[in-house]
Amino acid sequence: MDNLSYLFAAYTIVWAVIFGYMFFIHQKHRRLEREIDLLKEDMHQRQTD
Amino acid sequence: MKELFTRIFAIFWKDILSELRTKEIATSVLVFALLVVVIFNFAFEAGADTTGLVAPGILWVAFTFAGVLGLNHTFASEKENSCLEGLMLCPVERHVIYWGKLVGSFTFMLVVEAIITPIFLALFNLPIFMPRLALIIVLTTLGFASVGTLFSALAANTKARDIMLPILFLPIVVPIIIAAVEATGLVMDDKSWGEMSTWLQVLIAFDVIFLVASAFVFEFVVEE
Amino acid sequence: MSEKNAVQANILLGLGLALMIAALYLVFIYVPTEESMGDVQRIFYFHVAMAWVAFLAFFVVFVCSILYLWKRVIKWDIIARSSAELGIVFTTLVLITGPIWAKAVWGAWWTWDARLTATLVLWLTYVAYLLVRSYATEEFRGARFAAVLGIVGFIDVPIVFLAVNLWRTQHPTRLVFEGGLTSPMLLTLLVSVAAFTFLYILLVIQSISLRNMETVVRQLKDAQANPGKEQLWTI
Repeated sequence: MDNLSYLFAAYTIVWAVIFGYMFFIHQKHRRLEREIDLLKEDMHQRQTD
Repeated sequence: MKELFTRIFAIFWKDILSELRTKEIATSVLVFALLVVVIFNFAFEAGADTTGLVAPGILWVAFTFAGVLGLNHTFASEKENSCLEGLMLCPVERHVIYWGKLVGSFTFMLVVEAIITPIFLALFNLPIFMPRLALIIVLTTLGFASVGTLFSALAANTKARDIMLPILFLPIVVPIIIAAVEATGLVMDDKSWGEMSTWLQVLIAFDVIFLVASAFVFEFVVEE
Repeated sequence: MSEKNAVQANILLGLGLALMIAALYLVFIYVPTEESMGDVQRIFYFHVAMAWVAFLAFFVVFVCSILYLWKRVIKWDIIARSSAELGIVFTTLVLITGPIWAKAVWGAWWTWDARLTATLVLWLTYVAYLLVRSYATEEFRGARFAAVLGIVGFIDVPIVFLAVNLWRTQHPTRLVFEGGLTSPMLLTLLVSVAAFTFLYILLVIQSISLRNMETVVRQLKDAQANPGKEQLWTI
């Protein structure tokens, strides 16, 4: 591997990991939001009963 | 002040008595340390020319692993027999328990090291009487005990106690392991005090800092 | 999320993105190629920037651990935990980019050089910080133990660096990065540090808000399971 390939590899890994982490956070965020909405709805349902 | 020492001694004496009665931990740790020395000797194929290079490392690996075993025991029996709750009920400040346990682990490790070191030196054909080595061992063991007692109490309250202690403990004591190995190497090569002094300073600094820090933080580990 | 919060979040995001683009420009276009090592030396800027940010993250862990043990308010533990996770992510990246750079320049992945070795010990310390939470018997205990580790671990950091550096001066290798920083290099480095600090702040905020959402979920589920229980808060 020549010099530039190493440079490319290093930066690619950095960005892959950071984006991976951000993606993971995003997914978790959406899942939790959905869960909160469901639970709230359920709660309101029972309060109106 | 005198009361403080009496209390610390009481905790220490309790541990000594229970250990003297069973002798289980002392003998097994001793044998283990010896085994480590022997096995690592084969691992590094210490011929006459390379002995000086590997000897310090082997000694301190043996002491480190044996130390972990001994430290595990410091709070393991307390936890098992619910003695820890008993200790906590005593109207003493938490850090007194720390000091008492510290003296116990420190003494225990020192005894093991005092027995293993002459054997080790003989096996490696090194002079038996080395007061500077004794100083290094005392300082390093104090460092081990200071942090180790804290983490032993912590690990005793976790699910995988035996593996948790080394995972927590070893990264923290890396500096004094480095210092101990380097200083031991210098002593075995019969170098002057001056060269050793930087490493001794590292050891002393570590001991002071972590004795204070561990004593201070100990109460947060054992509070319930 | 309220309107104001959304606007603030977007501003932060925009600033962060702008900083990162500026850093990238400086690293790849502005700064001249280093003579002895060639282009691969450009790894240095992000490598060092991430190391500094990791250190900052662990400092935050230290402060929040003290605050948690002192005040016993859960938010400090949440911040500490999120910061530690990010610190480990960045430290891991430092430990990956370092060897890539070393391999390119000296032909060896790992040379036990002082800084990388100390970084490795740092990594092990904070991985232990996260492990202690999983191995604790209850969550609040895990938080307490982790806080203890956050304090002791950080106190250890300067001693580790000191010892490892001394060790390396005793046994020097020929593989050392010498050379000072010219001012374009310094500028590039500073902007990179700023960019990554921003990234860290953004991610830590996200992570904290996730933890808070988890708490809300737990409270809601708890309310669901015990319908008669008095609600102490309104949604």
